[in-house]
Amino acid sequence: MTQKSTFLVGFGLHAGAHGDDPDWRGFWSGLIGRLDGAAEFLTLEDRFADPGRDGLDAILLANWLAPRSRDIGIIAGAPLNVLEPFHVSTAIATLDYVSGGRAGLLAQRLDQQRSLDAGRAIGALKGFPAVDPPSLDRDALAAAEVVRRLWDSWEDDAVIRDVVSQRYVDGEKLHYIDFQGADFRVLGPSITPRPPQGQPLVATSWTAEADLALARAADVVFVPAASDLAGIVAKLEGDGPGTGPKVIADLHVKPDVADVADLIAAAKTSETQGARGVRLILTDPHRQIAPVVDTLVPALRTAGLVAQPPGGDLRSRFGLPAARNRYAAAA
Amino acid sequence: MSKKQIILGAQFPGVNNFTVWSDPAAGSQIAFSSFRHFAETVERGKFDFIFLAEGLRVREQKGRFHELDVVGRPNTLAILTALASITNHVGLIGTLTTTFNEPYPLARQLATLDILSGGRAGWNVVTSPGAFTGANFRRGDHLPFRERYERARDFLETARSIWQGGDFHVRSPYFDIAGRTGAGPLPQGAPIIAQAGDSDEGRELAASHADLIYSRHGTLEEGQAFYADVKQRLAKYGRSRDALKILPGANFVLGETLEDALEKQKAIRLQQVSPKNAIVFLEQVWNRDLTAYDPDGPLPEVDPDVAVEQLAQGRAARYDNRLETARAWRELAEREKLSIRELIIKVTGRKQFVGTPAQVAEEIDRYVQADAADGFVFAPHLTPGGFDEFVEKVIPILQERKVFRQDYAAPTLRGNLALPQAWQPVAKAV
Repeated sequence: MTQKSTFLVGFGLHAGAHGDDPDWRGFWSGLIGRLDGAAEFLTLEDRFADPGRDGLDAILLANWLAPRSRDIGIIAGAPLNVLEPFHVSTAIATLDYVSGGRAGLLAQRLDQQRSLDAGRAIGALKGFPAVDPPSLDRDALAAAEVVRRLWDSWEDDAVIRDVVSQRYVDGEKLHYIDFQGADFRVLGPSITPRPPQGQPLVATSWTAEADLALARAADVVFVPAASDLAGIVAKLEGDGPGTGPKVIADLHVKPDVADVADLIAAAKTSETQGARGVRLILTDPHRQIAPVVDTLVPALRTAGLVAQPPGGDLRSRFGLPAARNRYAAAA
Repeated sequence: MSKKQIILGAQFPGVNNFTVWSDPAAGSQIAFSSFRHFAETVERGKFDFIFLAEGLRVREQKGRFHELDVVGRPNTLAILTALASITNHVGLIGTLTTTFNEPYPLARQLATLDILSGGRAGWNVVTSPGAFTGANFRRGDHLPFRERYERARDFLETARSIWQGGDFHVRSPYFDIAGRTGAGPLPQGAPIIAQAGDSDEGRELAASHADLIYSRHGTLEEGQAFYADVKQRLAKYGRSRDALKILPGANFVLGETLEDALEKQKAIRLQQVSPKNAIVFLEQVWNRDLTAYDPDGPLPEVDPDVAVEQLAQGRAARYDNRLETARAWRELAEREKLSIRELIIKVTGRKQFVGTPAQVAEEIDRYVQADAADGFVFAPHLTPGGFDEFVEKVIPILQERKVFRQDYAAPTLRGNLALPQAWQPVAKAV
């Protein structure tokens, strides 16, 4: 059964978007002030090991932006192939606590060149994948699975503070995840209690070359609006309508934002092809923020396409059901 | 001669029995509102920094999760970066292991914290026990125990070369990495480096590389001996005595009168060492299941089991010689007629300043002026209000004595600690 939800609008940025602005804090502080309340979500792509442009760590930047905003969902990027899934899991869980349930993870798939750069930046290490696409995709699937299992490794009512039995926590409600993949093993449980959303949203960007399982394992997939959207939606819904991840169409905004009518038309087309919303990719936020927030987004609303942000946690905005804990005994 | 200025760190109550959860005033260990309250309070009190400990695996006892103490914490770097967003002056020091991190990702994250906090980042450099914690990480138990400090030193020097910005290329015993970073120069040049190891190797690493030492030396005399030992090690690395600050961990209990404070201390210690917790502590030395023993009764007559692997996992191993420790504890218990619980309360105590606000302020000052310390890292027993009274009552007295700042003087943590500029660039290991 398909769950009807609002057509969403969000922004796509990378964590080096401050560019040549020497005042990085001022840039990000000003930016989040403009974006908060204007759209449902923001994605922050991480530029790990991008030579000379690696910028800020996206998950940490997200944690810095969260207390400065009230409403916008923050989906922070991480290239899982070169990171410890345990650290990523706790950092996104923390983002969910800090933001009050507005956190998401953008599982990034680096292209071959960036994977080579990232590999050189961490060195050749046991437990990390070889730099070929099949190994990287297999590892990314494993790492995302670990991240998710760790979020569930504490049941919601694990902390009991029971003075009579002198116990703070009920050990029966903490769980080993005991994940054994091809390249590494993680035992768990997490050190961070289950975050407010249970499962913060997991998103990824569509890549034709990638293993389809990567996109299918995500809650949300960003797909270029100019591609065969309807075909990709069908591929992702292999188990029938409504079973796949939510598809959001990526719309690239021109530097001068002179294409408002075209963007509205593209958004409408993407909706008819099965997209649940659009992500506006901003390549030059310094120039684009004002026209996008003041003109483009209101025009999308006037066109009847996008409603006011409905509030609620990030999962519910995307029409995702409340997350069940895989380790909790069925009631 | 002007008096030494006191450095104060505020440790967020940690994952151990010193954090009292059974008190009605004990709040959430994980809610952001707790961290916000804590950070805003200590910044109002002009503390130098907030300090977070680390634990990367839930502690276990006899193969089961340890249930008696507070457990659960956020990701250290993530919560510190969130706190950077809601504070303006207080430093943010996180404990982060060199064993289950790699130099480029961690150096980049610390650079991010330093940039987003405007120069308030600090790193307490630690190493982790291998197999137990390693079970949560890709690389697993990858490092022989004896090499943990060598990797830490190598890691730190690698991080330094990354913090210089631009191209980095390191080929060393532990790392073979290269790249080009766009972050840098950092607001502080490099984050503040703290070190906690007490062994000879730990002290040497601190003398050569650290800005702060987090120590555990409670009495005035022990503190003075440690202080003298570490400070004299600085010269051979071409560093001045002021370049490394020594900060023991400590607690405080405040009362209307000394008697009132001592009463409160007694009650807090009973909360910290519950009957079951007393047995757990005893099991760490005896290395046997002692659940059949009465916590209010005498110590076991049976000797510790030295043959098998230790029962407690995820704690710093503090009792190297079990038989010797057991003998000393028995002697103490017999001499002072102590039950198991009373003994554990006595032997697991940390340095505590107990008394009226004026007495506590005077005692802190005395330790610092007598070169037993440059200041303290205080860990209160309650989350999140553990510093409320201290900030309201003790800080103003320290300020009146002119040994603690009225307001922050510098924009960066390095500046507020009155440390010399960030280290000179070291020769890159290529």
